[in-house]
Amino acid sequence: MTIQPGLTGSIFFLSITGSSMTEAILVVLIIVPFFAALACLLIRSTACRACIVIATAAMLAVSSLLLQGPLAPDAGLRWAGLIDPLITGCDFLLLAVMFYLGCRYRHPLIVLLTAGQLGLFVRLEFFVFAKDRGHALFQVDVLSLTLVRVVCLVGGLICLHAIPYMQAHEQHQNPARSRQPQFFALLLLFLGAMNGLVLTNHLAHFYFFFELTTLCSFLLIGHDRSKEAMDNALTALWMNGLGGLLLLFAIQGLYGQSAMLDMTGLAAATAGNQAALLPLSLLLLAAFTKSAQLPWQRWLLGAMVAPTPTSALLHSSTMVKAGVYLALRFAPAFAHTLLAQGLMLAGGFTFLAAAALAIGQRNAKKVLAYSTISNLGLIFACAGIGTPAAVAAAMLLILFHAVSKGLLFLCVGTAEQQVHSRDIEVLRGLCARMPLTGMIAVLAVLTLIVPPFGMLLGKWLVFEAGADHLVFYLMLVLGSSFTLLYWVRLAGTLLASGQVEGFKPERQPLLSRFPLVALACGAVVLALGAPILYGRLLPGGQTWSAGRGGVLTTAVGSFPLDVLFAVAALLGLLALFGVSRAMAGRKAFPYLAGANTRLPDHFVGPMNRPVRAMVENSYLAPFFGEERWTLWVNLAAAGFLLVMLGGALWQ
Amino acid sequence: MGLIDKLISTARRSSPWLLHFDCGSCNGCDIETLACLTPVYDVERFGVVNVGNPKHADILLVTGTVNLRNREVLAVLYEQMPEPKVVVAIGACGLSGGIFREAPNVVGGVDKVIPVDVYVPGCPARPEAIIDGVVLALEKFRGKALAVL
Amino acid sequence: MAVMQTTALALAVLGAALLLGGLLSGLDRRLTARLQSRQGPPFTQPFFDVIKLLAKERMVTNPWQAFSPLATLSAAACALLLFAWQGDLLVILFVHMAGGVFLVLGAMASPSPYSQIAGQRELWQMLCCETLLFVMAGALYLTTGSFRVSGAAALGEPLLYRLPLLFAAFLLALTVKMRKSPFDLAGCHHAHQELVRGVFTEYVGPHLGLLEIAHWLEVVLYLAICSLFWATGPWGMILLPLTAFLAVIVLDNVSARLTWRWMLGWGWGAAFVLSAVNLFWLKG
Repeated sequence: MTIQPGLTGSIFFLSITGSSMTEAILVVLIIVPFFAALACLLIRSTACRACIVIATAAMLAVSSLLLQGPLAPDAGLRWAGLIDPLITGCDFLLLAVMFYLGCRYRHPLIVLLTAGQLGLFVRLEFFVFAKDRGHALFQVDVLSLTLVRVVCLVGGLICLHAIPYMQAHEQHQNPARSRQPQFFALLLLFLGAMNGLVLTNHLAHFYFFFELTTLCSFLLIGHDRSKEAMDNALTALWMNGLGGLLLLFAIQGLYGQSAMLDMTGLAAATAGNQAALLPLSLLLLAAFTKSAQLPWQRWLLGAMVAPTPTSALLHSSTMVKAGVYLALRFAPAFAHTLLAQGLMLAGGFTFLAAAALAIGQRNAKKVLAYSTISNLGLIFACAGIGTPAAVAAAMLLILFHAVSKGLLFLCVGTAEQQVHSRDIEVLRGLCARMPLTGMIAVLAVLTLIVPPFGMLLGKWLVFEAGADHLVFYLMLVLGSSFTLLYWVRLAGTLLASGQVEGFKPERQPLLSRFPLVALACGAVVLALGAPILYGRLLPGGQTWSAGRGGVLTTAVGSFPLDVLFAVAALLGLLALFGVSRAMAGRKAFPYLAGANTRLPDHFVGPMNRPVRAMVENSYLAPFFGEERWTLWVNLAAAGFLLVMLGGALWQ
Repeated sequence: MGLIDKLISTARRSSPWLLHFDCGSCNGCDIETLACLTPVYDVERFGVVNVGNPKHADILLVTGTVNLRNREVLAVLYEQMPEPKVVVAIGACGLSGGIFREAPNVVGGVDKVIPVDVYVPGCPARPEAIIDGVVLALEKFRGKALAVL
Repeated sequence: MAVMQTTALALAVLGAALLLGGLLSGLDRRLTARLQSRQGPPFTQPFFDVIKLLAKERMVTNPWQAFSPLATLSAAACALLLFAWQGDLLVILFVHMAGGVFLVLGAMASPSPYSQIAGQRELWQMLCCETLLFVMAGALYLTTGSFRVSGAAALGEPLLYRLPLLFAAFLLALTVKMRKSPFDLAGCHHAHQELVRGVFTEYVGPHLGLLEIAHWLEVVLYLAICSLFWATGPWGMILLPLTAFLAVIVLDNVSARLTWRWMLGWGWGAAFVLSAVNLFWLKG
């Protein structure tokens, strides 16, 4: 599996259609969602709005697949005269809106942070930055392509799922006036902002899209307008605002070192520059706040009060990936420094601590949130390790995590609409009440923890890349074991049900079912194609030979992907046969010491009345509880961050 | 096919896992049953394991008269055992209700609730007699229909 | 034809492992009985047990109870074959871990409280033992420079010389994985009615038989991993695991059986610290 055919194909493609095709695709990816969002806001008819959302999602999906890199060095440059002032103007507008929100909700921290950003932005834009821009405004490389495809494909499917979900949500909430137009407008706006974020090559434009996603997140978290929602939305706003301020300081520092705002050029130019390490560390801190790493995890946990499409899209698949994208983009700049080592340890600690806190959690969405934080910590650690293999592992993790976690959020959200609770214990036995959703949820969990699926392949790569650093390896091992525990417990709780007659899928709207099934199939198919993906993700001339005989061979180990898939396929066939034979036999009742009644999980209790046999999972709150350990974990995380900063300052 | 049949039949007779249920016994027969597991009699050398789970058991050892309270439990346990299975009723109480036969809550004998294959008399039944009864029950496996693998 | 050859070889390896696993299980029961002043069953008893189970009636409460034994057995067989083909120890451990995952899922699929609680305890056990096994994989990398199992033989001197503390931790993991101690882990050999039968409570007949076979294969895998500690020659690779196996049985019979809380606290804590100390001393 080589990358030659792909490269030749894309060169051929570009040569016959020219760069105008690519520019058209870029316009579709970034500009069209803005207009579609406006249309959603203005058009009041539900059916029309649904059509707009479906059409936009389809267009984005197709465009992201058609997009090919690399771009010409002057890509988008002829539009610079139009884009630059437009984005600067929108940036001011954005910061002004955030300032207004801080004043309106009387949140001094937001007012301060936004004022600081405004002041610094004015200074940078008018007094510091030189006027000429000789670099490409956009860049499309493997990292951007991966993220664009994740945003458009996974994001598109989530938007489709949101259509029937929000209708049911509003029926349940019953507000005075439907807020669905705003909701879908924000979803589409957000998709455009994310596309802009990963495709832009200009650091100041990146900052604009970064803050735009912050605003979208605030508005989407506060969608329900309840006190709890608004409180959490404001927390998200100030924490992400802090990230924005840190990013501006970082931009100032980096520009001071190299007089460039070109992201790819900057990453190369500042490599080996000692003085650039401090602004880079501020950049990483900004990335940490965006990705809700410890000690800034509070906003993501609070954001779980938002409707499910928000959680699935922003807070697991795409927005929080903006932080890791930033770290990976600038990874060459701080490779092999103490800062990188500090990043690796900080990421590893987040992986471990978030996994431990997830064990003590009863709220299903919070378990998913902690798991997201944990996996993002792992990806940050990959950026810290910095070897080509680690970076490839990071991109595989981003891809597979987005698909599986988005799917899991959609399933949990669908289930929550039926049972009206987020407690894992209330979701017990979901597979009996909602067979298809439950089974897909269990499959999603399995794709996260079991070979031969993609997440495990990525984790194996990280184990191999990180084995040289003993402390990090021990954190990995512990965190991985903790991860296994809470996932298997969640999947087992969903499965726990009495006698199952047969598989009868529950009734669901098509727009709900299609994204679930598509994402589930996607997770499996992408895992099958992992060798091809892996070959594309690594730059040429590496010491790894991918995909010979279906075995991913590295210098220190090998992963027999095809063999494992063959075993899994054989197991599937055996299982079909075995399960159908077993179900044809006599039905068994669970063992309840002989005191069974006709109901499967009831036994004969006092006064000969049937009593339900109730068991709860063990959460071991004294050892893993959030209330008890968050403070200490945050202190430890702050310690690791100080070590990281120290690594930047002292060298 | 004959070889597999013989193999399965031998395996069934060499690996008797039993479920011991006390249906209102005075515990005399229970103590004697459990004594069989001690080093003096050591029935594990015959492959006997006292599993507490009807789903894993081949032989159901019942002591005590059956009374109105536990006859449903006995029936449920018997139903939960997979085929092939045999039932051994131990002690005078298990046979016919013993000296408690005329009490108002006593059903009077295991075979009034479930089909019994072997009766082991005695009050209490001696461990040697219980072992003999189990070995006799194992012979019943020769005649049982073979489940397909 | 290479596929045919490989398949035949794989089946031969699995057959040998089955035979070995069954005999080891029989040896275990016989030795335990002798230590308890009893005679004990014949060495071939486990084979009779499994054949009897495979020929019993099938009954399930939930389709997962039919699927999980197949998955666990596949994972155990796959892990063992990967080891035989000198694969990557990390991959072997991940595949073996998947087997454990399906075992717990099958147990938790039934609403019976016994199998639910036992599933939780099985998860705590996996937490402890998997951690220690993965640390061992890291130790293999540190000493031989790769995760491949073949590296231990190529080293020239026994790994045991460099990893004594880690071997002690491994013995603890072996005790727990062989289901000897802690006794309330459920599914333990000795307290074999603890939580009825723990994770195995709801499995009937052929499904239980498959799980028993999977357990045999897993024990063979652990002993194979144990042999890596003295991989310099065939004698070392046979005697060390055998000694460890017998030591675990004897130790289990002469000492008090401990609880799952002990396993999580002292067992895991001390073992992890010992392993970490060994690794840091090795690196430094």
